[in-house]
Amino acid sequence: MPVRYDSVLDLIGDTPLVRIDPRVHGVADTELYAKLEMCNPFGSVKDRTAWNMASPEIRSAAARGHQVVELSSGNTAKALAIIAAVHGTTFKSVTNRMRIPEVRDMLLLLGAEIEELPGQSECLDPAETEEPLARFHRALVESGTGYLHTDQYFNPRNAQAHIDGTGEEIVRDLDGRCPDLFAACVGTAGSSAGVATVLRRVDPGVEVLGLVADKSDFIPGIRTIDEVSEVGLFRPETYHRIESVTAAEAIDGMVTLIRRCGILGGPTAGAAYVGAVRRLRALAKRSPARRTGVFIVCDRVEGYLGYIRQRRPDLFGRPPTAASVETVTTADLAGARTLDVGAARSWITAAGPLVVDLRGSFAFAAGHIPGSVNLPEEIFADLVRGGMPFGSERPVLLACPVGERSARYSALLTRLGHPDIRSLDGGIVAWRDAGAPLARGSR
Amino acid sequence: MGCDPLYLDPRINGPLRMVLDQSELLAGLVDALGSPLNVVLPDQVAANVAAFRSVYARHRLRGTIYFANKASRSSALLRALAATEAGVDVASLNELRHALGSGFAPTRVLATGPKTEPFLWLAARSGASVHLDSLAELRGLIGIVEDFGLPPVRVVPRLCGFEHTGARVLTRPSRFGIEPAALGPVVDLLVARRDVVDCAGVGYHLDTSSLEEKAAALEACVVTLDDLRRGGLTPSTVDIGGGFGVTYLADVARWDRYTTALTEAVLGTRPPLTWQGHGYGLRAESGTIRGTLRLYPAARTDAAHTYLDRLLATPGPRLGRGLSTVLLENLVDLDIEPGRALLDQCGLTLARVAEVGYRAGQCLIRVEANRDDISFEAGGVLVDPLVLPRDPAREARPCQAYLVGNLSLEHDFLTHRLVALRHTPACGDLLAFVNTAGYFSDFSAGHALRQPVATTVAVAVSGAGTWRWCHDEQYWPTLGACP
Repeated sequence: MPVRYDSVLDLIGDTPLVRIDPRVHGVADTELYAKLEMCNPFGSVKDRTAWNMASPEIRSAAARGHQVVELSSGNTAKALAIIAAVHGTTFKSVTNRMRIPEVRDMLLLLGAEIEELPGQSECLDPAETEEPLARFHRALVESGTGYLHTDQYFNPRNAQAHIDGTGEEIVRDLDGRCPDLFAACVGTAGSSAGVATVLRRVDPGVEVLGLVADKSDFIPGIRTIDEVSEVGLFRPETYHRIESVTAAEAIDGMVTLIRRCGILGGPTAGAAYVGAVRRLRALAKRSPARRTGVFIVCDRVEGYLGYIRQRRPDLFGRPPTAASVETVTTADLAGARTLDVGAARSWITAAGPLVVDLRGSFAFAAGHIPGSVNLPEEIFADLVRGGMPFGSERPVLLACPVGERSARYSALLTRLGHPDIRSLDGGIVAWRDAGAPLARGSR
Repeated sequence: MGCDPLYLDPRINGPLRMVLDQSELLAGLVDALGSPLNVVLPDQVAANVAAFRSVYARHRLRGTIYFANKASRSSALLRALAATEAGVDVASLNELRHALGSGFAPTRVLATGPKTEPFLWLAARSGASVHLDSLAELRGLIGIVEDFGLPPVRVVPRLCGFEHTGARVLTRPSRFGIEPAALGPVVDLLVARRDVVDCAGVGYHLDTSSLEEKAAALEACVVTLDDLRRGGLTPSTVDIGGGFGVTYLADVARWDRYTTALTEAVLGTRPPLTWQGHGYGLRAESGTIRGTLRLYPAARTDAAHTYLDRLLATPGPRLGRGLSTVLLENLVDLDIEPGRALLDQCGLTLARVAEVGYRAGQCLIRVEANRDDISFEAGGVLVDPLVLPRDPAREARPCQAYLVGNLSLEHDFLTHRLVALRHTPACGDLLAFVNTAGYFSDFSAGHALRQPVATTVAVAVSGAGTWRWCHDEQYWPTLGACP
């Protein structure tokens, strides 16, 4: 088996099929396999789709200076951006809304252009008939330059990539057999439709399970039951069943794959795993028999840390250190020394404390207490976690917008042993309201 | 599940629920004053203002809550708002006159929208603030102040066309506001004529429910404010306009179920839910759904003050800090202009049932009102009316029907969808369309075909539980105070 390649694009496909330990999934007499599409070079199942759609025309498009465009807010955009770049042209992603900031940053890093369509109008105008897709096509025509629109939701080469690749590989790695159940999340419907086509050829009895996101939920990369109807490649007859998965279930499944199987898949992988296990368990209960299931691990977890943190902060729970403002108690606060504006002004003149402004640098530049230094709160918090940032020889006056954060820090630093640290009561707002002088910085 | 009626029950809170329980009072009002009839609840506005103010308090912000007057013509609601701490945003000469006459001191009034010379004169003469949409408007205002020897006028330039970094966020072009390229000359004139105009801040209004677009605009305003301060002006507020929204439906799950069913009906995989295949913007092309559902997100969970709360917690794209922090740190006050959100749960519209008939196998309920009186559907809001039967003893039988109006026009449908009702109405019963006070009572009503335009009455309950009512024009905040 060669491990030397002429192009990174040759690495697309031939992904491994990995068995899930039965002690993890716990379904009797069942072999469950994960198809690790995250092992594609750009990190997702969409590498196959993107390359298969782009490959016939990308060289001539690039030679004419045409840009590649696609409606995508995720993995397809990422793969197309790289494919366009290595062929010497550019990529533009048009999207309703990038809901995963890491994806947006990754696309910008890859040199892609991103256009986000406007949000829904608040005062609906019944005379307006424009829809986002019409806007997209009009924008392409208006641009005046040529483009290569890969059209993933309608392009048959999307599903074909999985007929020629993903589906064939699964059958090959199961020694020519077909699994009893194939479970996949429905995004563009390309991978599920393509794999289902191959599996049915081998065994028309295979059960194909399509998984969609619960309607009130958001799982990146999966559509809801309504949204799948907007996809040209989606054919209800591809699936025996369409079931929905909640974001909470998807994340639970993902954590199981990560922590117990070492498979670092993202939330879609978790959704596919949960959906597959749920269905296999139901089948086993109804009629015990030896069964094999396969699900797809679409991509990797790293790009979704923010999404997961938002929904499951407990997974990231580190115990707060004693040197963190979160540990400040009401008793600590009661002991914090505060000064109103008048008292603070006299104290600044009399004792010459170091005045520390905890606001952001833009606000500091716009106006600050003369002679103060700016340590924005997020930086200051890091400093304090590392240890007491002030010597005990000099008193300190902390200031924040309204005096709330500065009081907490003053309480914390007093508890940590600083002899004279005080907080400006009412903050910079009170300082301004009292007509005390504010100095301007340069930007 | 598929056979279960697709109810879209309205969200109804305390006071509005109490009014709906007064079926004799309501029936008597329609008998006396005719159908359609708008009923407003002025007492509710104070709670809505307080809900917004509590968000300010939580974020430790200051600023004015201006009611966007265009949402309703009601005098009662405006006078009730005048009795609260709220300001008012007026968008025509007559709205300005009405606001001044309803008890708003000029310092609580903001003149916005398309302006005429008399409108500018009255705003400047009385001492109201003026939103500026262009350099020409600023020149016109300066001319009026000079010609008539008026005191300096407080102005707020309205900005539009915000630039974004990173991803390019497309925003609908606006009819209003000053584009960044045109701002320079406006600022120069504001600085040069400080003796005549006092720049109090800057503002924007974006017609979008997208937090990201609004976050970028708000942050851009704070940055512009700093530029103005460096230019020697003393602006202190950012006015972020309105668009906070209202939750019209009681149940998100039912709304999700309804829109799924609608999609299926348009695809043809379930029986039609609408008149002649009307798709509310959706259509089927070879088994795939095309188009966009042109409906108001009536079951949103983050509307009104909770939307403001979320917006203030959203980080700005440039400075990376929460917007409330950005405002606080930069010593900027926040002004807002909610319209429908301040009128949430403040009114309903009653229509008498004229006929319950059948046509082409479908039930049609004709009411003594038309689609311009009850314009929920034109505004993209799908919500069921309540049936208030004349005879409370009549047995409740569910039905599915289209609601049609009193105009001799084919298109006079109040709903192009089958409405599921738990109670089949009879001729003479009332249909109550709930939560119409903001934009859905008098906004589009007209005199077409000489059909009557709705009378508006104000109702209030005394401490003893007695209901009082009066003509909208007769209401003053003292009504509730009287025994």
